[in-house]
Amino acid sequence: MTTPPLPLDDDTAGAVVDAMMPLVGIPMAPEWRETVIASVKATAAAARLVLDFPLDDAVEPAPVFRASADLASAGSASGDPA
Amino acid sequence: MSGSTTSGSRTASEIAAAVAAGRLTAAASVEAALARIAAIDPGVNAFTDVTAGRARARAAEIDAGLASGRIPGPLAGVPFAVKNLFDVAGLPTRAGSKINRDREPAARDGALVRRLEAAGAILVGALNMGEYAYDFTGENAHDGPSRNPHDRERMTGGSSGGSGAAVAAGLVPLALGSDTNGSIRVPASFCGTFGLKPTFGRLSRAGSYPFVASFDHLGPLARSVADLALAYDAMQGEDPDDPWQTPRSIEPATDALARGRTGLRIGVAGGYFARGGEPDCFEAVALAAAALGATRRVEIPEAARARAAAFVITAAEAAGLHHDRLRVRPADYDPAVRDRLIAGTTIPAAWVHRAQRFRSWYRARVLTVFDEVDVILAPCTPCRALRIGQTTMELDGVAVPARPNIGIFTQPISFIGLPVVAVPVRVGGGLPLAVQVIAAPWREDVALRVAGALEAAGVGAAPVAA
Repeated sequence: MTTPPLPLDDDTAGAVVDAMMPLVGIPMAPEWRETVIASVKATAAAARLVLDFPLDDAVEPAPVFRASADLASAGSASGDPA
Repeated sequence: MSGSTTSGSRTASEIAAAVAAGRLTAAASVEAALARIAAIDPGVNAFTDVTAGRARARAAEIDAGLASGRIPGPLAGVPFAVKNLFDVAGLPTRAGSKINRDREPAARDGALVRRLEAAGAILVGALNMGEYAYDFTGENAHDGPSRNPHDRERMTGGSSGGSGAAVAAGLVPLALGSDTNGSIRVPASFCGTFGLKPTFGRLSRAGSYPFVASFDHLGPLARSVADLALAYDAMQGEDPDDPWQTPRSIEPATDALARGRTGLRIGVAGGYFARGGEPDCFEAVALAAAALGATRRVEIPEAARARAAAFVITAAEAAGLHHDRLRVRPADYDPAVRDRLIAGTTIPAAWVHRAQRFRSWYRARVLTVFDEVDVILAPCTPCRALRIGQTTMELDGVAVPARPNIGIFTQPISFIGLPVVAVPVRVGGGLPLAVQVIAAPWREDVALRVAGALEAAGVGAAPVAA
């Protein structure tokens, strides 16, 4: 398994932002671009720490959805150890 | 009206006791709070709305009830205020934003406001906050910064900055805030108040404006541990309006306080929690540990990665919540918030999924620490209150951005929803600093008992700012 090619440099992060804005439909003003790019880089750096940590496929995501409408019998959604 | 009431130094417990005993009327209690707000708030900017009319009406109802023999509630006559992301009937729930002011006024109060008022407390207003709670500073581009009552050129901490300022200035003895990554505990540390972030899923979030569904918590700030417990007990209970709440019976904490720290095993967090801050934040932990006789070190594994995962999930979920508004009104956001939200829309789903899986792994590992100890002590903020407008700070000799790093010690804890009491500890002179008293899930009573022991020992204290 390989990790993504992170951390991002400014040019790559800028390209990501420029490509994504039409997709998500946000009219980003040019003067916001620099701080948006800085934030994308910070998030990518955080993500790298997470992605670098090996997890077994059996580890489930933390949030648990219960189909039952009877929440009183649904049990813990946040890991009650009791 | 007593002198101590007008000085704002009375705690909620003292006010409720005085009202119950007939030594103070609810009306006088409310008028004292309104007078202090009028006199002091222009300098600290804690309040965005003062609900004087409803407060006076509610006080009159309480006084009439007492006169006719009704049993007073445990918070009878206690003025309180809430971060302006709580619904308050008749006000648009602004959540620190410009955009939300266009919303219809809330039809009714949020669940926790209703529960406190059912216990006799009286809402006197709504409080300043960082926009949409995406903030550790207490600054706000639309309403101006809330100001630290101990030094008005300093931050309150965020995002519940108005809550910290209102309590520290003695404007109210009790305030509610929200805590997603540290937003109750950071203002408690910077402003020198006690604060309780309960277990994730304990208190109803119904009728509050969301930020990050995976991490949002609501809780009280006050100037005594007894007040935290009193408010917390009044707010417990299942609420069918909150699908994220964990079904749980009411487990009162107030009566447990008298047991103090007896029988509790207390450890001090090492590793990640023993570096990366100014020396004073570790000195605060050392003072608390010494007062409690705690010598054991414990390790919370992978805390840096936990913070990183919280960072990713926060950015992604917040961006998802705000996506529609970012498309049509991006220029109406606080720039410091908007640019992070826009960046959040670029996050790959795979990163969020991985972060939520890591969260499961981390929870399982951290819960084993509670096989060794009942309580973990850790620093709350890596520094004392920064100057308003300060954008960088120095940690371990390295200049780092201030905003994200204020929460380095709080984020890895709220990430898995552990209950925490922030206890303000005076280290030398100058501005306050708090210590986190962290307990296992659903053991708010244990965290409050240890916080109470620190208060009783004179180590934890939250005096009204001079």
